[in-house]
Amino acid sequence: MTLRVLTVDDSRTILAMLRHTLSNAGFEVLQAEDGQQGLDLLKSESVDVVITDINMPVMDGIEFIRNVRASGQHQSLPILILTTETSQDKREEGKAAGGTGWIVKPFDPEKLISVIHRVVH
Amino acid sequence: MSELDDFKATYFDECSELLTELEEQFAAIEAGERDANRLNAVFRAIHSIKGGAGAFGFSDLVGFAHAYETLLDYVRDGRVELTDDVVTLCIRANDIVSDHVAAARTGEALPADYGQEEKARFEALARGEAAEDDGPPIEEFDIEFTPVMVDLGLDGDAPAEDDDCFEESPMAGCEAGQWEIRFTPHRELYARANDPLLLLRELAALGTLQIKPVIGDIPHLAEFDPFAVYCSWEITLNAPNTTEASIREVFEFVEGDCDIAIVQLGAGTAGEARPAGENAPAREDDEDDAFEEAPSLSFSELAATITPTRVATPSAPPAVVAPKPMAAATGESEDGRGGGVQSIRVDLDKVDRVVNMVGELVITQSMLTQQMDETLRARYTELVRGLEVLAQTTRGLQDSVMAIRAQPVKSVFSRMPRLVRELAQKTGKKIKLETIGESTEIDKTVIEQLSDPLTHMIRNSADHGIESPELRLQRGKPETGTIRLSAEQAGGNILIIVEDDGGGINRERVLQVARDKGVVAPDATPTDEQIDQLIFAPGFSTADKVSDLSGRGVGMDVVLSNIKKIGGSVHVRSWTGKGTRMTLRLPLTLAVLDVMLVKVGINPYVVPLSSIVETIQCSRAAFERVPSGGQVMQVRGEYVQVIDLAARFSLTSDTDEGNRFVVLCEGEGATKVALVVDDIIGQQQVVIKSLEENFERVDGIAGGTILGDGNVALIVDVQGLRTPAVHKSAA
Repeated sequence: MTLRVLTVDDSRTILAMLRHTLSNAGFEVLQAEDGQQGLDLLKSESVDVVITDINMPVMDGIEFIRNVRASGQHQSLPILILTTETSQDKREEGKAAGGTGWIVKPFDPEKLISVIHRVVH
Repeated sequence: MSELDDFKATYFDECSELLTELEEQFAAIEAGERDANRLNAVFRAIHSIKGGAGAFGFSDLVGFAHAYETLLDYVRDGRVELTDDVVTLCIRANDIVSDHVAAARTGEALPADYGQEEKARFEALARGEAAEDDGPPIEEFDIEFTPVMVDLGLDGDAPAEDDDCFEESPMAGCEAGQWEIRFTPHRELYARANDPLLLLRELAALGTLQIKPVIGDIPHLAEFDPFAVYCSWEITLNAPNTTEASIREVFEFVEGDCDIAIVQLGAGTAGEARPAGENAPAREDDEDDAFEEAPSLSFSELAATITPTRVATPSAPPAVVAPKPMAAATGESEDGRGGGVQSIRVDLDKVDRVVNMVGELVITQSMLTQQMDETLRARYTELVRGLEVLAQTTRGLQDSVMAIRAQPVKSVFSRMPRLVRELAQKTGKKIKLETIGESTEIDKTVIEQLSDPLTHMIRNSADHGIESPELRLQRGKPETGTIRLSAEQAGGNILIIVEDDGGGINRERVLQVARDKGVVAPDATPTDEQIDQLIFAPGFSTADKVSDLSGRGVGMDVVLSNIKKIGGSVHVRSWTGKGTRMTLRLPLTLAVLDVMLVKVGINPYVVPLSSIVETIQCSRAAFERVPSGGQVMQVRGEYVQVIDLAARFSLTSDTDEGNRFVVLCEGEGATKVALVVDDIIGQQQVVIKSLEENFERVDGIAGGTILGDGNVALIVDVQGLRTPAVHKSAA
């Protein structure tokens, strides 16, 4: 079964790199450029895991995660936070909002895949 | 292009957008709009630039952006006040980021200490505040940006990394060993979609596992809380090479969402898979009877154990089972996805290929039309109609394709407010900038070439045009000078106008300098307009010293040559004491030109249609000789210089004088010139081919083109033809 990943990031560079890495690893990749787009996509698409940036316009990653969890449909959907922060703050904030784990940018492809496999079957 | 190059191209594209956004945001911030949205947007822009830079290993850029980003973060949460000084520093930092990006793009190295001063100031600002707050100090940036992630050792024999040793507790040596792990998830662990099975699977990658579920007091069904956690696990891990740090990393995501106890059982009995229940050593928290009694489970049995637990948790409400019908019910399965996406990104190369092919199509189409002589026209009316439709469609296609390349001038204009601000600062003058017509669209290539000339012109206005506040007051003008930057479309051209309300060009001085430098012959008496135009002459600069504003060692001639390069022209007009207006006339597109085809001698020449005012038969024109030997003609009371193209290009004309034509052209600033040609052939569109690129620069010729019949025709440079004549008359 092909796993579907929703990637949410306002940087086209990061989206492109995620798509490349994930597609090569056999994932099906959906893209959204901010939290709102991500939420909208989740209304119509079922995905196995979400990777989201924190700093985004319109709706940031924290708000996005909160909304996903509050929607009542996606409590068991693993959500990974993409973060360049070396500090704990953002991770804690993301976790408090309902984030499952995090990926530190820049990611190397192998680690990205392995982190995904940490949170998804 | 490799994939990495593709990503880089995307990244640099994105960077230039982000840098433009930064300029815009800071222009507003500088104007006093310091709301949270702007600060967030600025932070995001730098954050994105840094994020991508990290991915490509542009460590200098990452390092600088990190310090900048940290400061912005502090600014937006109020820890650092956004004073004017900080704004100025940020604006300077945008330049540095931009230079770093440019250096990363070209691979050129910047000086090692480039931007270090600003970086240090960022760090000092951030540190200063953090110290006062007693908050955590800003961490020293790790240039390697090593992700803190566990090596899962997917091949199964996860070697512990030496680096991990430093994090270990004293009891967990690097040597081989057996571990007892007690893992009790809290309900939050499930609420965040973590899955114990996956954690245990990951743990299994470190070594051999024995796992026992500890089923706590499961209440009667009536009291059963579906969101409560009733299960924990006792794990024995036989992993000779692992460390406590590696084990903790497995539980990295769930730290705080579970109780985890890790105990090392002394030196390793490597490879010996010992049932944990059989010989459990004494442990500090060995109060749980279930540990002894529970049978050990295989990994697959464990999975079976876990599955019901998960179902009982809040993580799996029924809704999740059928997400698709739910989505269908919301009725926006398609709309939700497609909404908001109204543009696509296309490689510029691809667009250019289309542009070129359309150009060729235009040529072919005009060739076909030319082939239709009167006899054919009479005979094949259907074909003629078809050709007319083809011509129309081709024209429409061409316009549409050109529209793809067009971009609003806003991207260039948006860089100017801060330039003016800097200029005002450095000159001590008070200057405000007004921009008009930012949404006017021009060909992308033209836009890219516009930044430098425009910068130069605005510098010139600020430096030489606008007077000091004292002088302005003295002259009865408002203290603050105004530079107006506007863009508008005028026919087939775009006009970019830089206007100031300063003192105007000091013509005496300009003429003096021009004479001193030999730009103008000592005895020549150029008109005011010609004097104004002299500021664009090569090697001309009236600045007493090379100021670091307008100067940079080059004069306004650079503006002229840059603009000429993109097929445009510059005209300056000045009113003493009132101000100066510089007008850039740019072609809408670079690729295709509407021209009039004329004959000079036996050769076809083309004259850009946009510069032609009218055509007159020579028999009706009244030429007059002037003492210098040239010719002029009178057009509605105005004397116009006459240039015989045959003579100018040293060709012999066999046509009778009376049968020749005058093509009256308008050059810059409504200055007219009358070109005498042998015949007028007709109008058409041509694709411009650069003469400089394919041959060499020729005065009076703007380029070449291939006509429908395959012949080459040269494009007459109306302005260029006129210029040497001015010098001649002045000499």
